Amino acid sequence: MRDSVPAGGSSVTSANTAQSEGPSASRQAASLEFREATKRYPGTDRPAVDHLTLEVPAGEICVLVGPSGCGKTTAMRMVNRMIDITEGDILVGGRSARERDEVELRRDIGYVIQQIGLFPHRSIGENIATVPRLLGWDRRRTAARVEELLDLIGLPREMTGRYPAQLSGGQRQRVGVARALAADPPLMLMDEPFGAIDPINRERLQNEFLRLQAELRKTIVFVTHDIDEAIKMGDRIAVLQEGGILAQYAPPAELLMNPENRFVEDFVGADRALKRLALERVRDVDLWTAPLVHDGEPVAEARARAADSEVPYALVVDDDDRPLGWLTERGLREERVRTDLASSPEPIVDLDDVLRDALSDLLAHEVQYGPVIDPQGRVVGVLSIELLSHVTVTTPEAA
Amino acid sequence: MIELVFAQLQRRDRSGADCVADNGICPDWIADNFDRYVTPFWEHVYLTLVSVAIGFAIAFGLALLAHRWRWLASPITQVTGIFYTLPSVAVFFLLLPLTGRGNTTAIIALVAYTLLILFRNFMAGFENVPAEARDAGRGMGLTERQLLWGVELPLALPEIMAGLRIAVTTTVGLASLAFLAGAGGLGEALFDDINFRSNVLVAGGLAIGLAVVLDLLILGLQKAVTPWTRAAAA
Repeated sequence: MRDSVPAGGSSVTSANTAQSEGPSASRQAASLEFREATKRYPGTDRPAVDHLTLEVPAGEICVLVGPSGCGKTTAMRMVNRMIDITEGDILVGGRSARERDEVELRRDIGYVIQQIGLFPHRSIGENIATVPRLLGWDRRRTAARVEELLDLIGLPREMTGRYPAQLSGGQRQRVGVARALAADPPLMLMDEPFGAIDPINRERLQNEFLRLQAELRKTIVFVTHDIDEAIKMGDRIAVLQEGGILAQYAPPAELLMNPENRFVEDFVGADRALKRLALERVRDVDLWTAPLVHDGEPVAEARARAADSEVPYALVVDDDDRPLGWLTERGLREERVRTDLASSPEPIVDLDDVLRDALSDLLAHEVQYGPVIDPQGRVVGVLSIELLSHVTVTTPEAA
Repeated sequence: MIELVFAQLQRRDRSGADCVADNGICPDWIADNFDRYVTPFWEHVYLTLVSVAIGFAIAFGLALLAHRWRWLASPITQVTGIFYTLPSVAVFFLLLPLTGRGNTTAIIALVAYTLLILFRNFMAGFENVPAEARDAGRGMGLTERQLLWGVELPLALPEIMAGLRIAVTTTVGLASLAFLAGAGGLGEALFDDINFRSNVLVAGGLAIGLAVVLDLLILGLQKAVTPWTRAAAA
């Protein structure tokens, strides 16, 4: 399948390993732990990073977010000792970063910066091969890895020979990520990696990266000043405030729900309740039971069911429980349930819809309730504005 | 002393022909007498290349020092700047009592002249290295040495080569005065008979031709070693 598979020979066993395992990480992601990590610059009275303590489980994205001057980039750069740790320590995979040789440590950690920093005098292939070469991989293994990474980031292999100046901004950004992934590092540092990309391409690159991450499961420290990006990208978010003080460290939903102090509350924004809705899907909500009735059933039955439910109207469904419409006042005056006296069931909400979209649908149809259907189209419950407003004010279950 | 030097420059016998008597441009005379320019020409080439090579090595060393310790850049620029502003003729005569007549004196003076040009271009080259390329290189685990040889110097090459071109053409010109230090060169042939047009044409023409050829050679070399600079436009 791969034309560059080495033709036997015991000297290339390592190359074989790298190829057979493909882009899915062959190396275990490393956990990361800041332990009272502090950076103090001489001649300043406040530390740039102040006794930062937080743990990132292996395989998760931890976003460092905060206004400029909050020390988020400094904190990130302390991990690979691009900035020296004044006090405290940072453990990468349980090993103290302070005790490791800094060059060796850096080769073991992927590094992506906003300006990308591709070497303009080296071809795309050579750029991607930077760390493998430093690590002394042989030519064949390196070339195979470069091709594999180009496939992974969706660039044609012919691009290997091009120079960075011949690529678009988005392509350069992808190459920057590929270069950081080249030696399959157990930990990646990304400093505003999409910051210099226009909004449309940024969205695309973010989604691409999340898809990649779902496969690679790297431990990632991701720095951004954009709270929306933080919420989108992060498994956990560390909000830093000026002086490098950790204001809150929590999963996105919890951060939006329970900002620990005024600073975090302001930082996540007045629309944090709406942002929260973007994080959950309809299936995550305890839906109301739908008072289902079928055509021809006694209206008294419909009244009884509606009275038992939080929903004041009965929902007419067909024999497969697909929604046909809400029984109207007019319909209630009849003896039997008549489908033709039911109003539109729209909007019909999908179990997999994001809550924000569901809310938007309800508002657009100017209604309080929407029937929720499963992938087979059967009604499984009812979503209401009231339920959504509960979601936005209640604590999520511990993530 | 000056008189002594200019005594050498007195017009000599011009070997016959009418054209020569008329002080014209004489192809026949040039063809017959071309031999006498060969040695001065190679002396000129030698002076130029050796001086630029030594100057390049010294300027490179100084640039590495100034790259490592930023504060050195300004004093080095000032000192090499002083060398640059000294009139070369004066330097030859100042050095004569110390190093005597000959190549050494000439080369010392010519090297001193190249330093400022080359040093400043080295520094300009280093400054043009994108900060983010440096940061990314360090962050990926390049050692300082790998960063210097693998990233900074290659990216500084366009400016370094530009400096080399200026240094070489300037040195070809200045080496025309090297005969004052007793080092020969095309200047000697030129001033040997400065009033004879054919002589001036050949000696001067060879010097100019040498400058042009060397300049083009370095330009070609520059293009060969910096392929990425053209890729951007493509």
